[in-house]
Amino acid sequence: MQKKLKFKRYIDNSNVSRFRFWIQIISFFIFVYGGYFFIEIASRLPIFSCPYVQGSPGGCYLIGIQHELNTTWSSLWGFRGIAILTSLATFLVFFIFLNKAWCGFVCPLGTLQDWITKLRKFFGFSFTRYDEMSFKRLKSIKYILLVLLILIPLGIRNTFFGIPLPHGMHTPFCQICPARIILPLFTGDTSQIFIDFTDTTTIIMTSLGMMSAAIFLVGSFVKKRFFCFFCPMSALQFIFSKISLLRMTKDGDKCTRCGNCYRVCDVGIREIADDIISKNIVKDDCMLCAKCVEACPEDDCLKISFAGIPLFNASQEGFFKRYGQTDLNELNELNKQKNESK
Amino acid sequence: MKVNSDRYERMKKTGSIHYAMEIKKNLAEITDDFPDNPENMEYFYKRFEEYTTGNLHEGKKVIASMCVHVPLELIYATGATPVRICAGAYATDQIGAEFLPAKTCPMVKSTLGAVYLDILPGNIKPELIVNPTTCDQKKKMGEIAEEIDKPFFTLEVPPTKDSEEARQYWNRVVKKFVKKLEQTTGTKLTRRRLKKAIKTVAKAQAVYRRFDHLRRKAPVIYGKDAILVTNSYFFDDIESWTEHVEKLNKELEERIEQQKTIGKANSPRILLTGSPTIFPNMKLPLLIEQLGGIVVTEEFCSTSRMIWDTVAVDEWFLYDMVPAVADRYLKPSTCPNFTPNTDRERKLLRDIKEFQVDGVIYQTFTGCQLYDMESRRIGKILEENGIQTLYIESDYNPDDFGQLTTRLEAFLDSLKNKK
Repeated sequence: MQKKLKFKRYIDNSNVSRFRFWIQIISFFIFVYGGYFFIEIASRLPIFSCPYVQGSPGGCYLIGIQHELNTTWSSLWGFRGIAILTSLATFLVFFIFLNKAWCGFVCPLGTLQDWITKLRKFFGFSFTRYDEMSFKRLKSIKYILLVLLILIPLGIRNTFFGIPLPHGMHTPFCQICPARIILPLFTGDTSQIFIDFTDTTTIIMTSLGMMSAAIFLVGSFVKKRFFCFFCPMSALQFIFSKISLLRMTKDGDKCTRCGNCYRVCDVGIREIADDIISKNIVKDDCMLCAKCVEACPEDDCLKISFAGIPLFNASQEGFFKRYGQTDLNELNELNKQKNESK
Repeated sequence: MKVNSDRYERMKKTGSIHYAMEIKKNLAEITDDFPDNPENMEYFYKRFEEYTTGNLHEGKKVIASMCVHVPLELIYATGATPVRICAGAYATDQIGAEFLPAKTCPMVKSTLGAVYLDILPGNIKPELIVNPTTCDQKKKMGEIAEEIDKPFFTLEVPPTKDSEEARQYWNRVVKKFVKKLEQTTGTKLTRRRLKKAIKTVAKAQAVYRRFDHLRRKAPVIYGKDAILVTNSYFFDDIESWTEHVEKLNKELEERIEQQKTIGKANSPRILLTGSPTIFPNMKLPLLIEQLGGIVVTEEFCSTSRMIWDTVAVDEWFLYDMVPAVADRYLKPSTCPNFTPNTDRERKLLRDIKEFQVDGVIYQTFTGCQLYDMESRRIGKILEENGIQTLYIESDYNPDDFGQLTTRLEAFLDSLKNKK
């Protein structure tokens, strides 16, 4: 074993999940109530900082891109195009720092799902997982949604193949996004729970939205991070994942393929355990929650680094601290208490 | 053959005597032929001295196991104690030969002989003998043992571990095994008990991993001693084992500090792999080290493969803990029974690098098809990586001592000249 700096050792032995839990609470508070405290972050954020929430201090990039693309072809080559590029740049400036950790640490909708998981654990219900076939089949949905949310706004002004799209289809994804309906509830705003009877399009779109909110609540109760698997933001992020400064890498030579990382993975990424060739191991469903790194018992096999500086490395010592000995002390105490009470 | 006949009684008597003699002879070689054995090895020597005479786990329910695929945590969690009964004695090998073809693997023969004569570690009386289907010979041995009324339970191990199907199949097998355990022990598996069992085993693993890392740092313990340490994990009380390995670790750390190393600077560092070395069949590591080599690590199912890998649980409820335990006994295993088994190659290469191995000695038991068939591919890969390999086919019979000595001497000399 190489000698490690004391500070690094402390970090590698730490419990990142606990840290993440608190970060999530803080960011949920900021991104749902921040506006009330005059916090203004930015629009075009790589998370569901939903503008439909009154207290939202920023905006989700997906709503931005849908608005901007609701335009004619010709104007795309003018100022509109520049606006689109600047907002993409804004998105990237934020994204580049945290990579997919935006999903795992910051996104309020992601946090909400983790809380629903906690609720399920409180009741002691088992979770479900997709089998391999369904996983592969359902995986592409987020990309389809992403393509649609880009093409539909364009199609409203510029009919594709002569198919007319009604104006009611503007910001199509927002209309079916569960965040629009659920997140405002946290500010006491129930106004999003409605079906818009203006015309057929709005009836269909708002009903789909209601349905997706219901599916979101049920789905995330039975499956960890249920919605993230279908999230087009996740797909968009993954396209740019390689240029991000925050990275997760794997040293295949050190891997025993014990599968610990796959076991604890909330989104069920198999490659994390089985892929021993790729160095960059961030997959499209990954949210960089670092649970796999915590569960890896091989020194430096999995690593999270920022611009080349190692932040959190898998370590044997850390693994046993988290999974073994510290809890054993707790258990001994439990046993002692039990014996005393006898 | 009828149990309780006169012949059986005679066989049992002579078998036990021969077994005890074998242990005595091997222990004497292990302790007396080498200077300055670590003080804390005394505990482990003693465990083996009492191997045939002691009364292990008295008053506790014992579940006997074979191979590395029996989930020990589940056994502990149902209030029983697991004891691995894979045997290494020539005495019982000869008994097993009465039931099995001559060219059967000696480990299988020896284990069947020991089961038949009830000469098990510490005279345990197992409620159940769990037999994983890790090779054809073990499967058939199970059938024979059932014929002679031994409480065998077949644990179906899938032939591959990479596919998701195999994993799910194995998960179901383990669930069935839990039911069987609950029936046998009369204790229900609970969340609290399983959690405690997982933590207890994790503690032993943490201590073992420390031991393994100390062996990487400097040559402070002979392979023959290290094998005894891991071999005693088969049957020892896990808490006591953990405690004593911890003590041994402390002593080894002191030895590293005082630079009290074993062997010479040019002693070849050997990695042993292949069919498992199980006490008292210690002839290979003993010979290597008597001839001036040092066994720095072993890739055996009787050593590191058995203890190294860990259980990681996400949600501490039975619905997640049981599959987590099941995964640990399937996914990381480098048993040649699985196809493909590239993990074994990778593990060997990793060990060679980390333990600065000079040469590999590949042991195959006569009749052990799986290790034999893998030997060629492994040999080729090692050659490509510039590692010299000696392939040895042997069994529990001490007769090939002379021939082994000549071959080992030549191999070790060639390694020494290279250094």
